[in-house]
Amino acid sequence: MEIDSEKNLLRKQASYISQDDKFVMKEVYQGQQYSQIYFARLHLMRTLLYSLLPNWKPHLPVCTILGLEEGKECTIVGTLYKHMKLKPSILDEYSKTRSAVPLVKPHNFVHADDYLVLEDESGRVKLAGTVLSPSVYVTGNIVGLHGKETGAGEFLVLDVLEAGLPPQIELPLKSREDKYVVFVSGLHVGSSSSNPLLFQLLVDHITGHLGDEKEQNLASQIVHVVIAGNSVELPRGLLNGQNLAPKDQSRLSSPIKELDIMLTQIAAGVPLDIMPGVDDPANASLPQQPLNRCLFPGSSVYNTFRSCTNPHSFDLDEMRFVGTSGQNIDDLDRYSEAKDRLEYLERTLRWRHLAPTAPNTLECYPFTDRDPFRMESCPYVYFVGNQDKYDSRLVKGSEGQMVRLICIPKFCETGVAVVLNMRTLECHTLSFGTQF
Amino acid sequence: MSNNGKTRKRPAPPQKPSPVNPPPPKQRAASQEEEEFLDEDVFLDETLLETEDDLILRDSEQRQSLASRLTRWARPPLSDAYKSASKSILFQQLEIDYVIGESNRELLPNWSGPAAIIRIFGVTKEGHSVCCHVHGFEPYFYINCPPGMGHDDIPRFRQTLEAKMGESNRNNKASMFIRRVEMVYKRNIMYYQQQDSNPFLKIVVSLPTMVARCRGILDKGIQIDGVGEKSFMTYESNVLFALRFMIDCNIVGGNWIEVPAGKYKTAKSTSYCQLEFNCLYSDVISHAPEGEFSKMAPFRILSFDIECAGRKGHFPDAKHDPVIQVANLVTLQGENQPFIRNVMTLKSCSPIAGADVISFDTEREVLLAWRDLIREADPDVIIGYNICKFDLPYLIERAETLGIPEFPILGRIRNSRVRVKDTTFSSRQMGTRESKEVTIEGRVQFDILQVMQRDYKLSSYSLNSVSAHFLSEQKEDVHHSIISDLQNGNAETRRRLAEYCLKDAYLPQRILDKLMFIYNYVEMARVTGVPISFLLSRGQSIKVLSQLLRKAKQKNLLLPNVKQAGSEQGTYEGATVLEAKAGFYEKPIATLDFASLYPSIMMAYNLCYCTLVRSEDVRKLSLPPECVNKTPSGETFVKPNLQKGILPEILEELIAARKRAKADLKEAKDPLEKAVLDGRQLALKISANSVYGFTGATIGQLPCLEISSSVTSYGRQMIEHTKNLVKEKFTTLGGYEHNAEVIYGDTDSVMVQFGVSTVEAAMKLGREAADAISATFTKPIKLEFEKVYYPYLLISKKRYAGLFWTNPEKFDKMDTKGIETVRRDNCLLVKNLVNECLHKILIDRDIPGAVQFVKNTISDLLMNRMDLSLLVITKGLSKTGEDYGVKAAHVELAERMRKRDAATAPTVGDRVPYVIIKAAKGAKAYERSEDPIYVLENNIPIDPQYYLENQISKPLLRIFEPILKNASSELLHGSHTRSISMPTPSNSGIMRFAKKQLTCLGCKTPISNSDRTLCSHCKGREAELYCKTVAHVSELETLFARLWTQCQECQGSLHQDVLCTSRDCPIFYRRKKAQKDMGEAKVQLDRWNF
Repeated sequence: MEIDSEKNLLRKQASYISQDDKFVMKEVYQGQQYSQIYFARLHLMRTLLYSLLPNWKPHLPVCTILGLEEGKECTIVGTLYKHMKLKPSILDEYSKTRSAVPLVKPHNFVHADDYLVLEDESGRVKLAGTVLSPSVYVTGNIVGLHGKETGAGEFLVLDVLEAGLPPQIELPLKSREDKYVVFVSGLHVGSSSSNPLLFQLLVDHITGHLGDEKEQNLASQIVHVVIAGNSVELPRGLLNGQNLAPKDQSRLSSPIKELDIMLTQIAAGVPLDIMPGVDDPANASLPQQPLNRCLFPGSSVYNTFRSCTNPHSFDLDEMRFVGTSGQNIDDLDRYSEAKDRLEYLERTLRWRHLAPTAPNTLECYPFTDRDPFRMESCPYVYFVGNQDKYDSRLVKGSEGQMVRLICIPKFCETGVAVVLNMRTLECHTLSFGTQF
Repeated sequence: MSNNGKTRKRPAPPQKPSPVNPPPPKQRAASQEEEEFLDEDVFLDETLLETEDDLILRDSEQRQSLASRLTRWARPPLSDAYKSASKSILFQQLEIDYVIGESNRELLPNWSGPAAIIRIFGVTKEGHSVCCHVHGFEPYFYINCPPGMGHDDIPRFRQTLEAKMGESNRNNKASMFIRRVEMVYKRNIMYYQQQDSNPFLKIVVSLPTMVARCRGILDKGIQIDGVGEKSFMTYESNVLFALRFMIDCNIVGGNWIEVPAGKYKTAKSTSYCQLEFNCLYSDVISHAPEGEFSKMAPFRILSFDIECAGRKGHFPDAKHDPVIQVANLVTLQGENQPFIRNVMTLKSCSPIAGADVISFDTEREVLLAWRDLIREADPDVIIGYNICKFDLPYLIERAETLGIPEFPILGRIRNSRVRVKDTTFSSRQMGTRESKEVTIEGRVQFDILQVMQRDYKLSSYSLNSVSAHFLSEQKEDVHHSIISDLQNGNAETRRRLAEYCLKDAYLPQRILDKLMFIYNYVEMARVTGVPISFLLSRGQSIKVLSQLLRKAKQKNLLLPNVKQAGSEQGTYEGATVLEAKAGFYEKPIATLDFASLYPSIMMAYNLCYCTLVRSEDVRKLSLPPECVNKTPSGETFVKPNLQKGILPEILEELIAARKRAKADLKEAKDPLEKAVLDGRQLALKISANSVYGFTGATIGQLPCLEISSSVTSYGRQMIEHTKNLVKEKFTTLGGYEHNAEVIYGDTDSVMVQFGVSTVEAAMKLGREAADAISATFTKPIKLEFEKVYYPYLLISKKRYAGLFWTNPEKFDKMDTKGIETVRRDNCLLVKNLVNECLHKILIDRDIPGAVQFVKNTISDLLMNRMDLSLLVITKGLSKTGEDYGVKAAHVELAERMRKRDAATAPTVGDRVPYVIIKAAKGAKAYERSEDPIYVLENNIPIDPQYYLENQISKPLLRIFEPILKNASSELLHGSHTRSISMPTPSNSGIMRFAKKQLTCLGCKTPISNSDRTLCSHCKGREAELYCKTVAHVSELETLFARLWTQCQECQGSLHQDVLCTSRDCPIFYRRKKAQKDMGEAKVQLDRWNF
C-alpha cells in the first residue's frame, strides 16, 4: 500500500446528461382517469405502426374495429386487452363467500383459458388463432394485426406487427477508452438479510480503497454508479399513520441514516445516481419521483449525488442508458410468460414501451396527453434492478441497433454488483462475500 | 349487410304478401296498395328509376336497409310440406289462451253463435311459429244432483236455469246460455265416503264467462219444480278455462302437441304466426314430456332494455320523457350467442362493433321500429329486468302520449293492441305486490326481476347486485341525470349510452342462461301442468290445484268450490322448535334430518281430502280401529286399504319421478339434457313440498286445516320422539362412550352431540342413530344423517353457525343461519365484521384473534380510519317525504339533497345511500343522515357511536356471548375505545371564519410560511416524518390504480372514461375517495420539496 501512495491514480470522467425530464411530474392532478393515457398511447403508437404498414402488408386495406367485415382480410391497429381468469380483483375483497381455505396467491396469473381482445376507440373484438399467443402479450400492448373477421364475430389473426426496436442515435466516432459503470440494486439497508460488511466492501471497491494496484486501476475507471432501487427497508408496520414513540422514530430513521453515510462515501469519489424502488420511501406509482433530499442530509451536499426518477434515463458520453428498478419486468412476469427475464426486456424494446402493463396492473400516474414510458430512441444500455439473478445479453436490431440488456440482481441476497464497460458494452459482475 | 343480395332473391312468403316493411305511417294509406304487390326485385328497379329525386332515393334506401334487416330477423321459411298442409304439425306450446268468436262452421256444422276458441301458441322443431285454434271445447262445471231428480227432469231444470240466466243477463244477446245438462256419476273429494259414486249434474254453458254467473245463480238458489227453492254447491266451477282445456286434453305446460295432417284446416291469417290452423279439440294429441319430447324447441328469446331521458330531479315519466334508446338481443333457445343484436337510437349514434345501430330522427320512428322488430323477429319469450313494471308499460304509455295508436300491436294477433292493467298479486309466500300487467298475446313475458324476487332472498334486487351475486360481475350504472346529458351530446356520447344500454339488455339473458331459468321453469310447468306464464303471475297454489284436478279426474272425483272462508277458519299449531342450548360447541355435532318430512308424513298416514273422516261420521260409519289412523291433533283418516288418498298418490308420483330424474341425471352426458333433468328434479322437489302448504292456505282454493294441522302434529311428535330415542339409546349405560345430548332441533332436523371428539366417530354414530330411529317410523318417513357441524356456534333458535362436514377428511363450507350478513339496512361493516369473526372462530379456531380483530375494527372506527363505503346504509325511496308516516333517515336526506341540487337528488324509486354523521347533541338519527359523497367532499365526521351501538354491537354480542363471559364490556368498552379522532369539517359555520395557518407536519405547532414544513424542534425528524407522509401517498396511489383499473375492467373498455355511478358497487365510494385523496396527497408531498 505504501508503494501505491506515491503514484496517484486519476479517476476517469464521463459527460453526463440527465434524460429524466419526461419522468418528472409537473402535472397537477385534476380528477382524470386512466382512459387518457391509453388514448395517448394508442394515438402515438398507431401513427408509428401505420407508417410501417405499407412495407409490411402493402396490399391489404387498413381497418378499424368497426370497419371489419366478415371474411375480408385487412390490417388493424389497436390496444390489446388480455382477459385473465386468475387476475386478482379488488372486488374479491367483497365477494360474498369467503373461501374457507386461504387462497394461495400464485406469483403468475397466466392461465390456459386467457384470451386476447383488440380494442380501439370504436370497440372491441375478440382475437382468435394461434399466431398471437396470449401468454406473451399483456393488456396495454399496441400491435398491428393482419387477419379477418370470422363468422363468430372474432378476428382471426394471421400475422402480427410489433413496433420493433426504436431507432438508435449513433455514437460519435471517437476512439473509446475503457470506462466502467457500476450497477447495483436491492441494497435493502436495514433489513435482516442485508450485510453491512458486503455493502462496505462494495463501497470500498468503487472508491478504490480495496485491492492491489491492478484493482485500484480498474476502480479508477469507474465513471458512474447507478443504484437501481430498493436501497433501504423500513419497518412497514410503523408507517400506519399513528404517532410514533421516540424509540420507533429512531428505528424508522436509522436505516436511512446508514444508507446516507454509505452514499456519502461513494458520492465523495464517483458520480452517483440513486433511483427509488418498490420498497423505498417514495411514491408507488410510476414514474416514481426522486427520493427526497431530506432523506440524505450527508450525501446530498455533493453535486455528484443525484436522486433520480424511476424509470431513469441518461446519456453518459452521449451513450443512452435507460433502466428501471424492476417493477415493469416483475409485473410482466406476473401477467405473461417468457423463458427468462431478459426476454421481457427484449419484448419491451420491441414494443417500444417500458411498462405496457401500466396502468392496468402496474400503478402509474394518470397522464393526460402523453405516455412517458414510450421509448422514442433505442438505448445502448437497458438495465432492470432487483432481479433474482444476474443476466445479460447483447441484442442487435435490424437497423444495426445494439443494446446491452442487464438484469441487476438484489445485492443484499447475492452480494453481486454489475460492471459495464462502455467501450465494448461488455458486462461482468463484482461478487462480494464474507464467508469463506 | 353482406347477405343483402342473397336474401332479396328469396321468394316472398306466398300466404302473406305484405308482412314486411310497413311504410312510415303517414304514407301508409297511399302506398298500401302498391306495397302489397311489390316484389322486392321490382322495388329495386323502381328506386333506380327515380334517381332524380334524392329524397325518395334516401327514403327508399332507408326502407331497403330496413327491409334487409327485417328479412334477417325473420323466421326460417316454411317447407313445401307445411305449405301444402300435408304434414302433421308438431310443436312445443308455450302459451294457451282463449278468445270468443263465431263457432267454426266447417269443423262444427251443428254449432252456431259465439263460442270459446282455444288458442295454442308454440314453435316447431324447425323454428316456425304456430298458432293453433282449437274448436269445440266447452266450458262446464258440476253440481250435486238434487235427490229425487231423474233423467226426465233434466230438460226442465235446464230451461229454468236458462231462463234465470236470461234474466240476469238482459243485455247479453246470446242465443243460448246453457248448452246442456248431463247426469254423471262421480264423487266429492271431500271426506271419506263408503259409497262409490253419486249422481251429479254436469252443466255445460256456451261461454266461459257464464260459468261464474251461473254459479252465482245456483249459489243463491233457484226454484225447482217438485223440490222447491234450493241452492247448490258447485264443483270445479273456478277452474280457468284454459287450464280446464289442458287438464281434459292431458296437456301440461310447455309440452309438445301434435295435430295430424288432414285433421287441421289452414286458417285465414289472423295472426303473425307462420302456421295458423283450425282443428277440433278431440284431434289434438298431447305428448308426455319424455324421451324425444322432453327437448326444447328453438324458440326465440328477446332480451331488451330501454333508456329514457328523464328531466333533472324526476324519475322518468312517460307523459314527459322520451324513450331515447332501445337495445335488443334475440337468442335462440339452446344457443349461447344472440343472433340479433341491435340498438335503436333517437338521433344519430356512432356505430358499435358487434351490434347493429339503427338511428332515427323521431321518437315515433324508434317506437315503430321496435314494434317491427317484435313483429318480424317474433320472439316467443320476452325477457328483461323489470320489464313488466317499467319498460313495457312505459313504451305503451309513451306511444299513447305521442299518439301512435299503431304502436301497441305487439302481440301475435293482427290488429290487437296490448292491454295494460294494474294488478295486485298477493300470496302468502310473497305478500302483496302491486304490478302492472301487460298482456301480449302469444308471447310469454319473463321478467328476471320477478323471478329473482320469487326464487331468491337477496339483500338487494338491483340489476347490479343481482349480476354481482350470480355472475360475479359489477354492472356499470349510469345515473339518469347523466343519461340526458349523454343524449344531448353528440353521436359519440350517444354511442356510449347505447353500449351501456346493450349491456343492460344482455345481462338478463346471461342471468337466464346461467341460472337455467328456461329449463327450470319449463320443467316446473311440465311437472305441475300449468302454463308457463302462470308460474310467474300466480302463486304456489295453482300448481297444486292443477295436479289435484288432473288426479281427481282420473279417480272420478270432483273438487268442491268452497266459499272463500277468509282467515276465520283460524290457524293451527305449526312446527316445533326444540329449545336451543346456546353455546360454542367444540365437539362435532351430528345433524339428523327428516328427508322431505311433510310429504312423507302425508304419504305414511294417508292424509288426504278423501280419507278424512268427519268427526260426526266416525261413530256413524263404525270403522274398525285397525283401518283408521288417529292423528296427534285428533283427526281421523282411513288407511289406504279402505281408500287410497290422492294427495299421497300425487306425492308418491312426484317423489318417484324425482328419483327417476336424478338417476337419469347421473346417466346423462349431454349438457342440455342434464340441464333439463336437473330442472325437473328441482321442480319435482319444490312441488312435493308445496302440497302441504296448499292444504293449509286458508284463503286458497281448497283449504283443509284438518290435514295441515295433522301434518304438523305428526311432525312435532316425530321430533320429540327422535329426541327421546337419542337420549335413551346413546348413553353410557347403553354401552356408548358418552351420553348423547340433543342441543337443538328445528322443524325437520335434530342436532345431537354424541360427545365423541372426531368427525368420523360422530358420523358413525349419526348414521347408526338415523338407521335405528328410522326403523321405528312408518314408511316412507325416514331420518337421514347428512352432516356434522364442527365446531358449532349455537346462538339461539334459528341462529347458528358452524363448519359443515359431509366427509371426515375436509369440511365443505361454513354454514350460517339467521346471522346478520345479508340484512339490507346494515352497512357492509357489519357483514364483514361478522364474517371475519366467524371465520376466525370457526375455521382458524382463534378466539383471541377474533376478539383482537373486533377491537381493532372498533378502534379504526373511532379513530376515523374506516373506509367510508363500509359504513354506507342503503334504503329504497318508495314514496315521497309526506307519504311516510314516520320520519326516516333516507327520506329526510332525499329531501335535503333536493334542496341542495334537484338534478342529482334521489327520486322515488331510487335507492338512497347514506351515512350517519356527528351532529348536535340530541339530534335524531334521521336528522343525522348524510350523502356519502357530500361527506367525502367536506370532511364531515361520521358518528362512530351510532355505528357502534346501533349497527355492530348487537350482532357482535350475539356471536360472542356464548363464547366470552363478559363479551359486552370486553369488546365494546375496553381500552381500545378510549382514543378517538375526528376530522374537522370543511363546511361547518365556524370554519368560514377560521384562518388557515400552516402547522408543523411533525407536532402541529403553527409555523410561519418561511419554515413551510417543520418547526425548529422537529427539523431533526425530517427523514422519519417524510417517510410517513410518502408511505401514505404511496398507499393512496396503489389504491387509486387498483380501483380505477377495476372500473375500466367492468366497463369493458380502456379508451373511454368510466361513467358508472353505481352506488351498489362496493368500491364506488372508495374510488371517489381515492380520486379526491390523490389530489390532496400531491399537495402534501409538495410541501417537502423545498
